[in-house]
Parts: sequence; C-alpha cells; structure tokens
Amino acid sequence: MLGLFGVVLSFAGPQARAEGSELAKEELACLSCHDKVEPGKKLENGEILSLAISTKAYVESMHKETSCEDCHSDIDAKTHGKKITPIKSKRDFTLSMRESCRACHKKNFTQYEDSVHAALIKDGSKEAPLCSDCHNPHTVRSTKTVEPITATPCANCHENIFKAYAKDVHGLARIANGKTAPLCADCHKAHNVQAASLGSGVKDACLSCHENAVDQHKDWLPNASRHFEAISCPVCHAPTAQRRVNLRLYDNVAMKQISEKAGVPQFEKRTQAADTKDLGLNERALWSLLKEFNQDGGEGKTVLRGRLEVLSGVDAHQLSEKSKAIRDCKTCHQKGAEPFQSVTLTIAGPDGRPIRHVVQQEVLTSLLATESVRGFYAIGSTRIKLLDTLLIMVMLGAVSVPIGHMTIKRLFKSVREKLAAERIAARSETDGQDSTHHRRTDDDASKNSRS
Amino acid sequence: MQKLYINPLPVRIWHWTNAFGFVLLIATGLQIRYLDLIQLVSFRTAVVAHNWIGFVLIANFFVWLGFYLFTDKIKVYHPELSPMKYFRASFRQMQFYGYGIFKGDPNPHHPSAYRKFNALQSMMYQIIMMLLVPLQFFTGVLLWDVSRFSAMVEMFGGVRVVDTVHVLLFILFSGFIIVHVYLASLGHTPSAHFKAMITGYEEIEEEPKHGTSS
Repeated sequence: MLGLFGVVLSFAGPQARAEGSELAKEELACLSCHDKVEPGKKLENGEILSLAISTKAYVESMHKETSCEDCHSDIDAKTHGKKITPIKSKRDFTLSMRESCRACHKKNFTQYEDSVHAALIKDGSKEAPLCSDCHNPHTVRSTKTVEPITATPCANCHENIFKAYAKDVHGLARIANGKTAPLCADCHKAHNVQAASLGSGVKDACLSCHENAVDQHKDWLPNASRHFEAISCPVCHAPTAQRRVNLRLYDNVAMKQISEKAGVPQFEKRTQAADTKDLGLNERALWSLLKEFNQDGGEGKTVLRGRLEVLSGVDAHQLSEKSKAIRDCKTCHQKGAEPFQSVTLTIAGPDGRPIRHVVQQEVLTSLLATESVRGFYAIGSTRIKLLDTLLIMVMLGAVSVPIGHMTIKRLFKSVREKLAAERIAARSETDGQDSTHHRRTDDDASKNSRS
Repeated sequence: MQKLYINPLPVRIWHWTNAFGFVLLIATGLQIRYLDLIQLVSFRTAVVAHNWIGFVLIANFFVWLGFYLFTDKIKVYHPELSPMKYFRASFRQMQFYGYGIFKGDPNPHHPSAYRKFNALQSMMYQIIMMLLVPLQFFTGVLLWDVSRFSAMVEMFGGVRVVDTVHVLLFILFSGFIIVHVYLASLGHTPSAHFKAMITGYEEIEEEPKHGTSS
C-alpha cells in the first residue's frame, strides 16, 4: 500500500517537502493530498468530514513520529481515494477511531474509561467527549508548549464555566503568569475527570497546591478540620456564589458515597414516591426514604452526609483573591443564613453525575430530622426550633417560681406575723406558768419550812 | 447565734469559679446559638471564650472531686441508705418550701459540718455533679473538636444528637442557676447562705427551748 504513497510523493509540491522534511516518505505521500483545502467527505447524515491535515501542524505535533498507517490501518492503498467508504456521522467516525488511541495511550485510556465522560458515552450520550474531541490527532502538542487558556478543549463544552474561570483568581493568574496557576486539568484531571460535586477530589486538588491551607485556617477558624470536611472551598472563596446544603446518601460501611445502580433507578422512584406533591422532601419523607435504602443493606448502612457547597459549576469558578474570601462567621452561623435556604438530596448517578431531589429547608431545624441529618449541623443556622421553645419555657418557669414563691410569702406575711406573735405569746405564757409554778413551789417550800 | 464552718476554702473557690464560669458559659453559649439576637462580642471570640472557660471548669471540677475524694468531707454527699427515712426527709423539705415557709415554720433541716445538704439538695447535687455536669463537659469536649472525636460523636448518634444533649443541659443549667440563687436567699436571712459561701461560716439560729423560730 505504501508503495503507492512513494509514487505519489514524487508529485508532492516544494512547500510540503520543505515543511515535511522531518517526515517519512509514507507520511509525506499522505500529506501530499491531505494538505490541501478540500471540500471534505460528505457523510451519510449530511455532515462534511474535513480530510485536510496541515503538514506544518503535523510536523509540530506530538504525532510526527507516528505513521499515518499506525492509526489508519484500515485504509487499503489500492482502493483509497477510489472507492467510497460509507461513514454514518462524524461521531461514528470518531468512535471508530478510539481503539487507535488506546493502542499507544493505554494508561490515559484506562483513566478515561473511569471518567464521567466515558460513563456518559456508555449511557448513550452524543455530546460527551471522545479522545479526538479534545486532542486533534493531527495537531496535538505537548501540554508543556500549549498556550494557556485559549487552547483548552474543555471550554468547547463547558463554555460558561470556562468564562467564569477566565475571570477568577486562577484564570487571571494563568493568563498573567502561565503555568504557575492551574488550568482545568490541574484540578479536574485530564482523563479520569469526575463530577466535581461528588467525592472530595476537587478539594484534594486545592490542597495539593495550597498545602498549608488547613494549618492556616486553624490559626483563626475554630473546628477548622470539621469546616474542611463539611464545606467545599468555593463556599468561602467564591464570595459572590450561591450556596446550598447537599445531603449525600452515604454508605457508612463501605465509607463511600452511594451510587445508583445502572438500570435500577431506585433513587428517582423512591424520592418521587415520597414527594408526590413535588414540594420537596420533608423530615418524615426523608426518614422513610432512608429506611427504604437501609432495607437494601442493613440498618445504619445508609446515612446522610451533609455538605455545604456552591450551587453550580459557574459559581465554583468565581474564586476570588484570598483577602476577599468570607471570614465572617455570621454568613453561616445565624438563623436564616443564606447557605441553608436551599437543601438537596444527592446520589451518584450511574453515569457518574449526581442525581438530586429537593429537600424542604425546614428539615434542617426539625427535631424529627435529628436522626436523618445527624451528621450535619451548623451552630445557629440549623438549630432545632423546638429547643428554642423549650429554653423560653424553662426560663419563664425558672423566673416564675421565685416570683410566685416570693409573692405568696408576701401575701402570707400577716399570717406569719400573727402566728409568730401567737407563738411568742404562747411561749411567754408557758414561761410565765413555769415561773409561777416555780414561785409556787418556792412558796410551798418556804411554807413547809416555816410550818 | 452559733457559727458553723460549713464550706471549706477549696469548696468556696470551686463554687465561685464554677458559678462565674457557668454564667460566662451561658452568656457565650447564648451568643453562639442566637447570633441573630445577641452580638456582644464576635462569634469567633464567643466560641474561643466558650471553649477556654469550658476547659477551666473541667479542671475546676477535678478540684471539687479531688477535695471530696481525699477528705472526710465526702460524708456530705453520702446518700441516706434508708429509702423510707430519705423519702420522709425529702417530703418534709418539700412541705417546708411549699407550705411551712409561708407560715414561718422552721427549716426542718439542721445543717452540720458533715450534713450540710438537706435531702433534696443531696439528691439534686449528686445528679448534677456526678451525671449532668460531667455529661455537659463531655459533650462540650466532643463539640470542641468534632473531627478529632468523630468516631465517638458518631457512636453517640452524630453531631446533631451530641449538640442537642449539650443544649438540653444548657437549658437545664440556665433554669437551675436562677432557682438556685433564689433558694440560696431562703436562709434565716436573705444573705445568710451567700455569706456562708464567702466566709465559710454558716450562722445557725439557736432554737428556742419550746416551739419554733419566726
């Protein structure tokens, strides 16, 4: 097959030859045709698949050492360009090319297969990215030389998040200082990307750069470790973000967040059954829901782990300067605090993304939910209302008892004085009788002595 | 008027440290829980102060415990082993506070160096000092560092349960302190018991040969 390419090479133009001097003859043969502006290949679904490959870009790419045949081994030189090979769609073609990537990039491919992107594809997604959606195989360059920000493929799908990032403290630092500041993959990883609102992967990413963050917080933040466990970093470091309480279904035995099994949509079925009016789960519904989940794996296995987080990916990418981060405890630790006005129940979906159901905000302050949300408590803002009532009643009682007792004592003052006077009178009478008796005895004695 | 040395110095030091400490704990606790209503100091200051005062009072508790364990004064806490006798004494004491005191009857309890508590006090203080106060300190320490004691917090039903117990006891102690101060004013003069806890000496009224005092 490649013999034919050798013949074709002799007809390649002078420019291609100069640019392609580092390439093997076979590659130059391919590029002699493909390095042209051409109309592209019309696919079955009507899409046009571009066949153009810039020799210049290819020479500068990471794949310059790779021969065309390494990836396009299915091409038969005898029929190539003569016989039309039908391709359904661009997506179908990209999917069919994945195995070529796996052949060389085994490690990255395995990581990718664990990612939320791969899970979405397994779930039938037509949008989730495949290898070549992020890495153009004919122009792919080392991440060490890629221009920051503008060349980031994540922005193609996560446009709003990327725009927010580009203006936040990390994005601005990346533009100003280059690689010292993080780009998407530095926090979310390039291949085994996970949903940021599941697990604690992103927090670990923050701490991998901000190594002393925990100690620095301990200097001024009481119970700093607990804050780190229960609060995601952007909650304080994205001061303009909207926040909410995320109650995660958690396996207390396996010590991990519970995932919905593929093909068995229990979470949605159960939450919808428990919330028929679609008002959000109340404390009773939440309790019975937990009981149902516990039936699957034993009492106490399924618990709720509460976490304070920002509402969306855009909110999470509005990180500010350290000096602007929230340090005022009042933001969270008082009645009616904004972060506690929105509550959601979450399970990890089979496609790796969270599935949510709204929970009524009152659950956080209800005595009946003490067991259900036992692992989540923020002083002041999620205080149990009934205890407030009890405090008022006890205080009223504690003040009423002395006041009532004193009042009765005062009312009885005259009775007390009268009784006291009677007692004194009775005593003095008794004393008088005693003295009379003594006097009489003395008189009798003197009489007797006289007689 | 007879004077009886009823409150030894370590007991008085413990008592007043405990009293001021509890008032401060209640004040800072109120601010921590009701920041929307009370803002005397910053939330953080209230939390830090609450923690420190808590630890001082835990140490102070051991002053009290040590004093009673290592001296014969422990007798003041010895329970009455005859339930009938104890019940009668309690009933007499309740009858006094609920009825007799209005008529000017004498207090049925006559304190001595080794029997300074009446039947009701004896029961109350044993419950408070050996159960409720240690439980409050224990829950307080767990809440001081929830992460460090996470296994124990989980064992007791989670941070919400631990906090609920802490708050329930806080409510109880807040009520207790008010009633305690009032009951302390019911000596033979309103200031008699307060003076006794400052000087150590309780003035005992000499009873008339017959009948009662006013």
